[in-house]
Amino acid sequence: MDDDTLLYGAKHVIMLFVPVTLCMAVVVATISSVTFYTVKDAYLFYTPFHDEDASTGTMAWQSVANALILLCVIVVMTVVLILLYKYRCYKVISGWLLMSTLLLLSFFSYMYLGEVLRAYNVPMDYITLTLFMWNFGVVGIICIHWKGPLLLQQAYLVVISALMALVFIKYMPDWTTWVVLAMISIWDLIAVLCPMGPLRVLINIAQERDEPLFPALIYSSTMVWTVVEENKDADHVPVPGEEDGGFVAQDNSAEATNQRSQRREQVRQNASNTPDVRVVTPRSNQEDTAEDDESQREEAERGVKLGLGDFIFYSVLVGKASSYGDWNTTLACFVAILIACPFTLLLLAISRKALPALPVSIGVGLLFYFTTRQFVKPFMDACAVHQVFI
Amino acid sequence: MDLTRTNNKTKLAMCRKYYFGGFAFLPFLWCINAIWFFKEAFTMPPYPQQAKIKQYVIRSAIGAVLWLAVIIAWIVIFQVNRAAWGATADSMSFIIPKGIP
Repeated sequence: MDDDTLLYGAKHVIMLFVPVTLCMAVVVATISSVTFYTVKDAYLFYTPFHDEDASTGTMAWQSVANALILLCVIVVMTVVLILLYKYRCYKVISGWLLMSTLLLLSFFSYMYLGEVLRAYNVPMDYITLTLFMWNFGVVGIICIHWKGPLLLQQAYLVVISALMALVFIKYMPDWTTWVVLAMISIWDLIAVLCPMGPLRVLINIAQERDEPLFPALIYSSTMVWTVVEENKDADHVPVPGEEDGGFVAQDNSAEATNQRSQRREQVRQNASNTPDVRVVTPRSNQEDTAEDDESQREEAERGVKLGLGDFIFYSVLVGKASSYGDWNTTLACFVAILIACPFTLLLLAISRKALPALPVSIGVGLLFYFTTRQFVKPFMDACAVHQVFI
Repeated sequence: MDLTRTNNKTKLAMCRKYYFGGFAFLPFLWCINAIWFFKEAFTMPPYPQQAKIKQYVIRSAIGAVLWLAVIIAWIVIFQVNRAAWGATADSMSFIIPKGIP
């Protein structure tokens, strides 16, 4: 049991903090410098109710209705994905994920680049633009869906999440965003923890088949997938990952090597984003082809996995908070979400199964947002007016 | 993808694919190739495939630098002459900077 308490050390926490912070930083920086993303002129197809100046009551039911519609879309998408996965339509899933990454890396990046350049008044011609976009997009696809340096892959995943979060912030009506955040967390809780919850089912199937769970859907702090090699050593005993791709303590020094076929259905949830939100620790899927396994295995680190959906919704929360222009609120939300991350890891170490990463973080984030905005901000304003320094 | 856990054959194949991929107007790919395989090519103890990897890495680096020079030259030339080139240059521009009002 001593082992379990130290399952996730400071290193894992930091491995999570860095990408989450970067993703939020990109979103907050964009929101505060590019007005495009805070101007409401168009809305998502899924959120049909958006009266600008409705009464509070109307606004409330409209937000809830919008959020419910969006949630239904997400549920349907998740179920479709699971059915596809269950019946082994890997081609379809790959195509789907490829299309969604392509959309994000081409169209949304183009839009983003245009707005940023416009905001900073940087001249650009179409020839350079084409070259940049071509390089950015193709390399992104290669790194995410094929092979590339881990750092670059992680960077691309962070960028994709940030772009998606910005799209959400721009195209969702003001209050709907908050309701969606709350509902998504609850849905996440249900999907991961209920015995028949879709994400739980997904994890179980993946475990049964002994496959890594959609590498492109999940940010992983260490290698998620391995490459099949012409092995020098013949005896590879496949170890079934001990439990759900979830928070499982995995013994790295285990004798067996966990070699799995390099199957990369990079399931990247498409723009209608299923929230695949779970912190997952990977089974140690390092392959030990090296002769001096002993030391290598010791060093092979247990990574932490975080669904891209988590990145997206964390960033949506912080980005949305920053869109009102108050840095107190932004920082409060940022700190709240980050502090909740290790807490989730702790729960992970205790429960030892896949846990949803959204509920705690988003719950605390929402709490801090509203309390800071309603109580702390007026207080600080009053202090500033009266020149009181605390 | 973790190079330290990949065998030499696969490394060479990767390096080669990245190198040839770069010819499709993808200098970024060359840049990655050069940086990613730099250690493999120059600091690792010698192994049979290393010579080939070294060759690809050097060529990728040269290609990437050449591309960079070309792009910078083009941007400078274009932006300096944009006003002089008139309507053609305007229609080629994605963003035309606004003056300070």
